[in-house]
Amino acid sequence: MPRVTFHHDGGSSEAFDIAAGMNLMRAAVTNGVRGIVGECGGQAMCATCHVYVREPYLRALPRPGEDENEMLDRVAAPRDPRRSRLGCQVTLDAVADEIEVDIPVSQT
Amino acid sequence: MTTTPDTAASTPPPTADWVDPLAMQRDPYDTYDRLRDLAPVVHVPALNRYLVTTSDACRAIESDQETYSARAGGAAATMVRALGGTPMLRRDDPDHATERGPVNPPLRPKRVREAWAPLFERNAETCLAALLEKGPDEADLDHDFAAPLAAYNLVDMLGLPMADPQDVRRWSHTFIEGIGNIQDDPDIWVRCDAAQREVDAVLDDLLPRLRAKPDGSITSALANAGLTDDQVRANVKLTISGGLNEPQHMTTTIVRALGDHPEQRELALSDPARWPAVFDEALRWCSPVGMYPRETTRPAVLEGFRLPAGAALGVVVAAANRDPSAFPRPADFDITRPRQPHLGFGSGVHRCAGHWAARIAVGEIAVPLLHQRIPTLRTDALRAGNWSGWVFRGLTDLPVTW
Ligand code: HEM
Ligand code: FES
Repeated sequence: MPRVTFHHDGGSSEAFDIAAGMNLMRAAVTNGVRGIVGECGGQAMCATCHVYVREPYLRALPRPGEDENEMLDRVAAPRDPRRSRLGCQVTLDAVADEIEVDIPVSQT
Repeated sequence: MTTTPDTAASTPPPTADWVDPLAMQRDPYDTYDRLRDLAPVVHVPALNRYLVTTSDACRAIESDQETYSARAGGAAATMVRALGGTPMLRRDDPDHATERGPVNPPLRPKRVREAWAPLFERNAETCLAALLEKGPDEADLDHDFAAPLAAYNLVDMLGLPMADPQDVRRWSHTFIEGIGNIQDDPDIWVRCDAAQREVDAVLDDLLPRLRAKPDGSITSALANAGLTDDQVRANVKLTISGGLNEPQHMTTTIVRALGDHPEQRELALSDPARWPAVFDEALRWCSPVGMYPRETTRPAVLEGFRLPAGAALGVVVAAANRDPSAFPRPADFDITRPRQPHLGFGSGVHRCAGHWAARIAVGEIAVPLLHQRIPTLRTDALRAGNWSGWVFRGLTDLPVTW
């Protein structure tokens, strides 16, 4: 089962096993993880599900699509050219089955 | 999760038999406070539904569309009757996503800025000229600026240059009357049917042309997404209904709120970076869409309260946006509050498709332009403006002077 770890500012973290095909925003919202809002329900329309993917996990992920890339310009916390992603556009599956992300200080 | 049935730990929601819909029509906020003090979800016999008034409960509903469906029947079926078809707003995923997906690209912020913002600016200038011509003794910001501006902007985004903005306003008001027609007034349905025919006539002509030669409009996006003509029609009509009144109300609400709070007005005028916060706070403080319907598909427990399957719910986002546990001093209009998400545009998959367009057209273009060009713009104390409504709420008129 894919596993996601959310790291909060200040050092605490939470890890969850999630269903294959589930995106990180949904995983955070259903588990009540603070700091991920997911206002538009995963349509790459709101940019309130911003995460910073930790370096070792970047390679297994497909690059952001055009919509995601555009919306990443709208995130509230600074955009990291490599690590910033929209949680709703990152899905865990058999290839990328483990990920650790940092939650930005602000989503709005 | 809050919605997993756990009957042992849950109780039925309390009933509020004192709710007076007519009083809510005038001013719902006292009623909202009393309901929220009672419980997050309360049964209201006078409205034949449960009203949900806390921020957490409204969000819990929006994060679980399998339990809380937008395909609400009963009173909510009026939307389908009014529009003559089922739009995305009355569907759940995956059906909803098929119709919503196509309208997202023309409404993402980059496209809004590149394609629509120049038109929003031009339209704001046109309407401002008309307002100035009316003069400081007679001008009404609603009739002479906010309403025509919302119509011009919508005509541009929908790509309906052949439609008279006056007609678009009439269609919009007719559809909204129909969506609210729970008392089943036959005259309203006659008007809705007529408006549907007029919109259909425009689309009969337009859709084949857009399929042959797509443009950047919302209608073109819908027409070229492999949807049936009925799906395209229903969603164009939805956008006509939803894309006009709310930007219109936001424009007048902001001007009124800043007029009543001169110190905040000064703050915005001296620091234009504050305009987005002005828009956001006004949307929270007096949300133009006050309530929208959902229906339970199965027995559920919402914040500890038991709901049967098929329960008609009113998600009262206007009340949630004044929830003191989410927003300190919730009744105060205060553009300096820390930024925080609220429910003025809804939340979840149905979150307003036009939210970037509205923010930019009203919050970043029209309202700043008004204040820059008429620095002494204020509410005319001699001719008071009136608030009205709770499902949809806003000023019915706003006499202004300068
Ligand atoms: C400040 C102005 C506006 C406000 C406050 C507003 C509010 C809302 C709200 C609360 C919803 C969700 C309703 C529900 O979940 O039942 C919604 C949906 C929608 N709005 Fe807006 N709206 C505004 C402007 C616009 C504009 C300008 C457009 C068109 C360009 C538009 C198009 C839509 C559409 C198509 C939906 C349905 C989305 C879906 O079902 O996925 N809105 N709006
Ligand atoms: S949830 Fe809105 S962009 Fe990801």
